[in-house]
Amino acid sequence: MAEQCFRMKGTTLTSIVLDIIMFDPDEFDKQLAAKVASAPQFFTRSSLIIQLSCAIDATAFELLVTLCRKHQLQPMAVKGQVGDLRETINDLGLSDISQSKATESELSPADESQSQTQKPAGAKPEVNKTRVVARPVRSGQQVYAEGGDLIILAAVSEGAEILADGNIHVYGTMRGRALAGVKGDTEARIFCQQIEAELLSIAGRFVMQETIQTQCWKKPAQAYLEEDALLVTELG
Amino acid sequence: MAKIIVVTSGKGGVGKTTSSAAIATGLALQGHKTVVVDFDVGLRNLDLIMGCERRVVYDFVNVINKEASLNQALIKDKRTPGLFILPASQTRDKDALTMDGVQTVLNDLSKDFEYIICDSPAGIEQGAQMALYFADEAIVVTNPEVSSVRDSDRILGILQSKSMRAEQGKSVKEHLLLTRYNPHRVATAEMLSVADVEEILAVPLLGVIPESEAVLAASNQGAPVILDQDSTAGQAYSDAVRRLTGETVEHRFLEAQKKGFFKRLLGGK
Repeated sequence: MAEQCFRMKGTTLTSIVLDIIMFDPDEFDKQLAAKVASAPQFFTRSSLIIQLSCAIDATAFELLVTLCRKHQLQPMAVKGQVGDLRETINDLGLSDISQSKATESELSPADESQSQTQKPAGAKPEVNKTRVVARPVRSGQQVYAEGGDLIILAAVSEGAEILADGNIHVYGTMRGRALAGVKGDTEARIFCQQIEAELLSIAGRFVMQETIQTQCWKKPAQAYLEEDALLVTELG
Repeated sequence: MAKIIVVTSGKGGVGKTTSSAAIATGLALQGHKTVVVDFDVGLRNLDLIMGCERRVVYDFVNVINKEASLNQALIKDKRTPGLFILPASQTRDKDALTMDGVQTVLNDLSKDFEYIICDSPAGIEQGAQMALYFADEAIVVTNPEVSSVRDSDRILGILQSKSMRAEQGKSVKEHLLLTRYNPHRVATAEMLSVADVEEILAVPLLGVIPESEAVLAASNQGAPVILDQDSTAGQAYSDAVRRLTGETVEHRFLEAQKKGFFKRLLGGK
C-alpha cells in the first residue's frame, strides 16, 4: 500500500479585506499607492480579499485586480456584490467566497503594530482582573491570581506561595515563594518592597534564595526575564 | 454571649496550657466569670496545671456524648471564684470531638460565662482546628525560636482561613504571646528578640512572659503561675490579661537586668 501523500486540514487566518466603495481606476491607483506607502512592510505581498460593496463590470474588475497586483498585493478571493462576475473571478484564478460567512473589523495603518497579535475579529478584548490581598499570606498558604496580576499589601511568610498568570507586587516583606507568569508569560515581572524570598520564578525560570542574597537582599527589587535569564535588580 | 478565645501555637511544648490556666485565672481574678476548656483529648494536662486532677469525674467527651450534663462535668476552681474548668478525656482520642457536639457545648457555656478559654492541642490537625473553629479571638503562644515562629505563622494562616469567622468573611482577632523569653540569651543572639518575632508574624503583642523557674514550680504544684505575683512570669501574665481586657499596659521584662554588685560578688545567677 502506498504511503499517504497528504492530509486535508481546516484553518482560519487573518487577512486584509479591501472594501471597494466606488471604483474609479485613476483615483483607486493613487489612493492604493498612498495606502501601501504608509506601511509597505505590512501590505507588500499581503493576501487580500476583495469586498465588492458596489456593482462593477468585468472589465473594471480585471483592472482592479491588475492594479492590486501592481502594488504588490495578492488578491485571493472575492465577496460582496459578485453578480455575474463569477466567470471573470475564475479566469483570474481567484475564488468566489460571497456565500461564506465572515466577520471583519476596520483596519487602518495604526493597526499595523497590532497586526501580529490581533484577535479573531468580533472577539471582545479580555480585561484581566487583578487580585488584591490585604492580609498577610502565612506559611502553608497559597494564593493564585488566575488570568491576571496579584497584589499583596502585607507580608508573605516563609513557606507561603503566591502565584499569578501575570505580574506580582508585594508591598510587605516578601519571604516566601513568588511565581509570576505561571502559564508562560515571559513578560511578567515580580516587584517587592523588601526582598527576602525563598524563590522567585517567572515563566518557569527561577532563582533561589542563595542567589537573591548576593544581590538586593532586604531591599526593594524587581525580577524579570532578559534573554531567558531571570534577573533580580534593585528598584529606584 | 461569651467571648471565645483559643490559646493555640501549632508547636507543642511552648506553654499553651500554662498560658490558658494563667489567663483564665487572671480573667476570673478581674471578676469575669470564666471557663477554661481542655481540647487536648487523650493528653489531658490542664487539670494538672489547675490542680484539680483528682476532682475529674466527667469530661468534655462525656458531655458531647450526652453521658453527663455540663454542670456535672464543670469543675469549680477552689482558689479563684468565678473560674471553672471543663477537663478533657484521658481515655479517648481527638476524633471523639464532633463539630456539632463542640458547638452545642460552647453555646451552652456561652449563656453562663463571660469568657471561654479553649486550650488547644499542638499540631494543625482536627483537634487543633476544632479548638480554634468557633473562636472570636486567638492568643498565639510562641517561643523566641525559628521553628516555633514558623508554626505560629502556619496556625495564623489556618485561623484566618478555616475558622467559622473566616468562613463568614470576618476575621479572628489575633494576639501574640511570647513565652520563655530570656533577655540575656537575646542579647547574645541565641534567641530571637521581641522585635524579630513581631516583624515576622505581624500580630499585635499581648505579652512577653520571661523564662522563669516559677513556671515549672507552679505547674508541679498545680497552681497557675499568675497566682505567684512575686515571680516575673506571674506579673507578666497579669499585664497580658489587663491588655486582653482593653487596658494599655507597658511591656516589662524585655531588657536584661544588670547584675547588682552583691549578686556579682556572691556569684548569683
